[in-house]
Order: sequence, then C-alpha cells, then structure tokens
Amino acid sequence: MREFYPKKGRVILHVDMNSFYASVEMAYDSTLKGKPLAIAGNVEERRGIIITCSYEARKYGVKTTMPIWEAKKLCPKLILMKPNFDRYRASSLAMFEILRQYSDLVEPVSIDEGYVDITDSYHLGSPLEIAETIQKRLIEQLDLPCSIGIAPNKFLAKMASDMKKPMGITILRKRDVPNVLWPLATHEMHGVGKKTAEKLQSIGIETVGDLAKANEVQLKVLLGINGIRIKERANGVDTRLVDPDSVSDFKSIGNSTTLPKDTTNQQELFRVLDHLAETVSVRMKRKKVVATTIGITIRFKDRKTITRSKKVENPFFLKEEIFSYAKRLFLKHWNGDPIRLLGITSTDLTDHEHAVKQLDLFSYEKEAKKEPLIQTVARLKEKFGKNIIEQASEKEIQKNQAGTFTSFNRDFLQ
Amino acid sequence: MRFIIQRDRLVQSVQDVMKAVSTRTTIPILTGIKMVATNEGVTLTGSDSDISIESFIPNEEAGDEIVEIKQPGSIVLQAKFFSEIVKKLPKDIVEIEVENHLQTVIRSGKSEFHLNGLDAEEYPLLPQLSEENIFRVPTDLLKAMVRQTVFAVSTSETRPILTGVNWKVEQGELTCIATDSHRLAFRKAKVETENTDHYNVVIPGKSLNELSKILDDHEEFVEIVITANQVLFKAKHLLFYSRLLEGNYPDTSRLIPTDSKTNIILNTKEFLQAIDRASLLARDGRNNVVKFSTLENGIVEISSNTPEIGKVVDEVQSQSIEGEDLKISFSAKYMMDALKALEGTDVQISFTGAMRPFYMKPLHDESILQLILPVRTY
Repeated sequence: MREFYPKKGRVILHVDMNSFYASVEMAYDSTLKGKPLAIAGNVEERRGIIITCSYEARKYGVKTTMPIWEAKKLCPKLILMKPNFDRYRASSLAMFEILRQYSDLVEPVSIDEGYVDITDSYHLGSPLEIAETIQKRLIEQLDLPCSIGIAPNKFLAKMASDMKKPMGITILRKRDVPNVLWPLATHEMHGVGKKTAEKLQSIGIETVGDLAKANEVQLKVLLGINGIRIKERANGVDTRLVDPDSVSDFKSIGNSTTLPKDTTNQQELFRVLDHLAETVSVRMKRKKVVATTIGITIRFKDRKTITRSKKVENPFFLKEEIFSYAKRLFLKHWNGDPIRLLGITSTDLTDHEHAVKQLDLFSYEKEAKKEPLIQTVARLKEKFGKNIIEQASEKEIQKNQAGTFTSFNRDFLQ
Repeated sequence: MRFIIQRDRLVQSVQDVMKAVSTRTTIPILTGIKMVATNEGVTLTGSDSDISIESFIPNEEAGDEIVEIKQPGSIVLQAKFFSEIVKKLPKDIVEIEVENHLQTVIRSGKSEFHLNGLDAEEYPLLPQLSEENIFRVPTDLLKAMVRQTVFAVSTSETRPILTGVNWKVEQGELTCIATDSHRLAFRKAKVETENTDHYNVVIPGKSLNELSKILDDHEEFVEIVITANQVLFKAKHLLFYSRLLEGNYPDTSRLIPTDSKTNIILNTKEFLQAIDRASLLARDGRNNVVKFSTLENGIVEISSNTPEIGKVVDEVQSQSIEGEDLKISFSAKYMMDALKALEGTDVQISFTGAMRPFYMKPLHDESILQLILPVRTY
C-alpha cells in the first residue's frame, strides 16, 4: 500500500464527529433518531443556549450558541435535553480508542475531534481505506457519525473534514488548494475569526486566494505573527506535527459561571464559590496536579471584570483549600457591587508526584501519623512500579465527573 | 542653637539614627531627625515609633574636640534631605545654626544650605524606662546570638508573634528562639545579671536586624533593659529602643525532639557546599527541595530533581552514621541558612523519621541548635 503514501511528507486525518452530543443521545435512545434534537445549557436560565443540535434541527435554522427561546421559535417541535457529560465522555474515550488502533500519533483536539497521523500505517491500507474503515467502525460500534478529512497537514485535513457533513470523507491535496480553498471567504478558513476577517477586509482581502497572495509586510503590520501564519495556511502550508501529548500541556485550571441573576447575596456567592472550588478540585485531581497560586475572577453587573490572584505557601488541590483561599481573596476584593459572574483558577501547576508540602512545626504530627502508610506505599511503588497503588480518593475521581464539563474543555482526555 | 562639629562623626550618627526613620509613618514629624545641642554635646534621635535610636556625640573624646557648642538648642530636620546633605558636604567641619522661625543653616567650606526645620517640642518623647533590671552581654556575643536566630523569624503576618525572636532570661542565662513554623533556631548563653528576675519577651526580628547593623563588633558590654512593652539596648553613646510584640510566644520547649533514630556527623562546609550545588537546579523560590539519603559505608547522597530543568546527585562522606537508614526531603534554603548559623567544623544531625523535625548542632556544643521540618511529597 506504500504507493498510496507520499515519499516525503505526511498523511494526516482529521476526524470530526457530527453533532456529537446529539448523536450520542440518539445512539443512547434510538427513539430520538430523525427528530430535531438540541442539547442546551440550563433550560430555564438566561445562559441557556444551544450547545449542539441534530441535523434535523439544523434544517429549521437552529444553530449552536443560539438562545433557547430563539431556537424554539424557529422549531417549535425541538426536543431540548440537558447535557449528559458522562455519556459524551465515555463515547469520546471509545472513539479515540478506535482511532489509536490505526496509529499511535493521535492528537485529541476536543471532546469530538482529533488528528491522526497515519504516515506509517501503510500496512493497514491506503489512506482512503483507513478513513473508510474508521468511519464504518464508528458508526457500527458506537452508532456515531463523523466526517474525515485526509490531507498532508493538519490545516488542510481540518478544512477537508469540514467540506462534507455528515458522514463525509474528503481528500484535500496541496495541489487542490487554488481550486478548492482560494474561492472561499477568509472567515471560512480555520484560524480566521470574525475580527481577523474584518481586518483583512480593510486591506482588501476578501478570499483565501487574496490572502495567499497578500503582501507579508502588510499582513504583519495588521495581524502580527499570526498574519504570516494564516498566509502560509492559505497556501496550504502547515508544519505543525500531530502531537499526542499536546493535550497535557496546560498552565492553569479554572472554571467560571454566570449567575442566574446578578447578586449581592454573600451566602449565595459563597455557595457559587464552593461549587466552583469543587469543580476545579475534581479537575486538578483528574490531571494529577497541584497548584500554588489561586486566582478569582469577578465580573460585575456593569461587565467590569477583575481578576486577582495570590501565591500560597503549600501546593493545594483539595476542594476545601481552594474554597478557603478563593473566599479569602473574594472578600478582600469584592466591593459589594452586584456580581454577574464568578470564577476560580488554579495556576502554577506541578505534577502531583513532584510536588512537596513543607511541614509545619505546630501541625506535623498529623502528617507524621500517616508516615508508616506513606512509606509502605513508597516501597511498593519502588518495587512494583508507580501505578501499582494509589489513593482511593484518586480512584473516586474517575467515577466522579460531576459537573466538571464545559463543551470547551479538554479534561476528558486525561 | 548653634554648633560646630566634625563632619564624619555627624555622618556616622545620622546614619545610625536613620535606621529607625521611616518614610511611611502616620506621624509626620517622625520623618525627621531630632537634634539637641547641650553643653555636653549633641544628641540625634530617629524613630518610627516601633524602633527609636538615640546617638550622642560628646563635646570631646580622648582629648579631641568633636563638637563646639556655641549656643544650646534643638531642631527637627527632614531626615531624607539632612542625611544626604551631611554626606556630601565639602569640608571636614560643619556648622549648624538655627535662625529665626526654625530656619536652619548648614555650612561647610563655601557651601551653605538653608533647611526648614520643625519644632523639636513637637517630637514624641522616648519611653522612660526604669533601669533597675539590667543584664549585660558582650557586643560580639549579642550580635552572634542575633545572627544565629533572627533569620528564622516568619516574614508572614499570619501569625504576627512569629515575626519576633523569643528572648528568655532565667538564672543568668539568655535563650533566643525564632521560628517561622518551618524551621526553628535556638541559641543560649550566660549573661551578667544583677538580680534573679526572669523575662519572657518577643522582640521584633526587624528591630534586632537593625540593632545588629548599628553595633560594632567588639567585646564591650551592651546593657539591656526589658520592661513590659519595651526593650532598651544601651551601648556607648547609643540608645536603641524597640517595642515588644504583644501576645504569647508558643511553647517551643516540647517541640525540640529529645530522642533520635538516626545520627549523622558531617563536615559542615562540605555538607553546605553539596546542598548549595544540589539547589542550583531548583526553580526560583519554588520546589527548592533536596533529597537526603543514607547509603552504605557512611555515605550521604544529596539529590534534587526538577523535571523541566534536570537533576543532580552529590555524595558526601560522613564521619559516622548511627541508627536507621533514612530518606528525607527538605528545603535547601532552610538547610543552608541553618548551616551558616552554626559554628564549628562538624555538625551533628539527628533525625527521628522522614516526616518529623530534625535538628543540627555543632559537635559537643549544646548552646546552639537549628531545627528544620522536612517536606513531604504528595
């Protein structure tokens, strides 16, 4: 099958699950199939927006991020469901498991998409055959549709997977770029948002083709280093490698929430902080990290937002610690004005196993009591390897995913 | 007020009292230095209301005339300007004269400054301490005791009492203890007392640091007066007052382990250098942790691992290792601070377990002890 692979260069797949949350729900409950279905945040509250919807709903014009009331107006028969993140996470893990059978180089990008570098997988078939089997297996084993892009780099693969939905397979070669990509408007390009497209327009760049031929100096002045990058992309050039570990590069762990209504009620705000602390703590435990800096975000009624942080003496990861630090910071910096949004962020992260706690003269006895146990565990690890034993609380985490999900976080990959 | 004075003596005294002057004070006049000229000489005072320093310049010393008083009087001058002015005056002799309305003239050679002063009557009075309960310590010993303990005070205000050094005087012995709750420094010495009173006070670490800077290393005695809320150090021509910290210092006597499971004797300098090397790879201010393990044949291994930078392994030959094998991790900084404070070529380290405090002292010397709490890994 080698003849189907380039002599130099790579073959990369971008696998993009089609309306993932809705598809998972339909796989779970087949009576939902063929009906307009939308997954939305808190249905009764103002932050209730459509997270994703089925293709049947899309026909009515329902779109992601649309407020619920608007979607309901467009499609009165729309079935609304709250997200079941546990299900999505389980499906996502199963999906990446399948992808990993075709290559070790699998880079998850989010819960429902990832890159697979199959350059060295020629013994499994041609690139198209591999894409077809992957698509077939995902639908047969998980009942989940996807679109796959096949291309020599990540950018083109991503663009390709976007071209046929649902259940498409698209090959995009570099030589196809002038015909396929150049006629597109710049904002249709992955990596070019609304703001960037507006800026490009201001110097007369409307299409990807314009961008591909644009003056580099002008681009750099307008967009900085990103200008050069998107010009390369417009020419089909992307040198980023598929990196299976990229998902574990994170510098902070934080969660925030918009309150159901603006409030000055301290008890209520404490409860919100308590809940956020729980979420952050669960995420930290899952990633097996500890932090030494705690930060909070407060957005007031007038949308003025402040962030404040503090370095603490000993690394923390427990909910109680996070809550008490966050509460202290909050009380110090809250002027009593109505609050719209609260957030907690842990930064200065260290791997759990490299973190240390400085013992305290007045409280070390508590830790010292655990010494025989800790020593036994250390000896076991030394003898049989690091994964032989871990604390039950760490095991607990794998079950307890309570409310740690946002559609934009990548924790599920840990 | 009018007097003529040797510039270097004035500069020295100004520098000493400046140690107490703070630019951030709630009492505006304390940004100034008070100067009082009497027929005996000139007295300078600086204070931030926590620390007050009084420096006296006598008319003459060992036959040399230092000050010539033309007219006694007093004034308060802005410390910031006055200290810079006297430092930069061109000649060895300075004339200071207060004219009308607190206007002060400072002359030296062809240079002449006019500085607006403040009324010395407005300057707060220093506490009057009854000087019955005095004990005496040689200056160099006092400085050593301060140096060996004050570094261990807490810099955090979470437990204010720990920002001071606990001084106890009992049966002719002075004990100094400082702890930030992660390490503890202990030093004791015989002092000269006239009575059997005992004291238990807490002196702010900052005060002791400043005191130590002002005192010269010599064997003359410093007289120390302790009252309920002030301590006064009296050296030649110098009075140093400090407020005491309020509150009870935690009882540390129980915290120093009495038994030990592993005893190791090491050459202090070799050990210090090995710790210093092992801490090189530590990231700034964080994870500055080294691992200490006993190996065969009396060898101690010191290692450190910072994943994103690298690792280091060092070995030190001990003079003896007695008792159980041991692996323990601790802050390299605390260890270096402690080793630098110890005297003597060899150090004895006593451990009672990887999660319990361990302490160091020079061989055959009970007067000083440094205790450190280890770190535990998660």
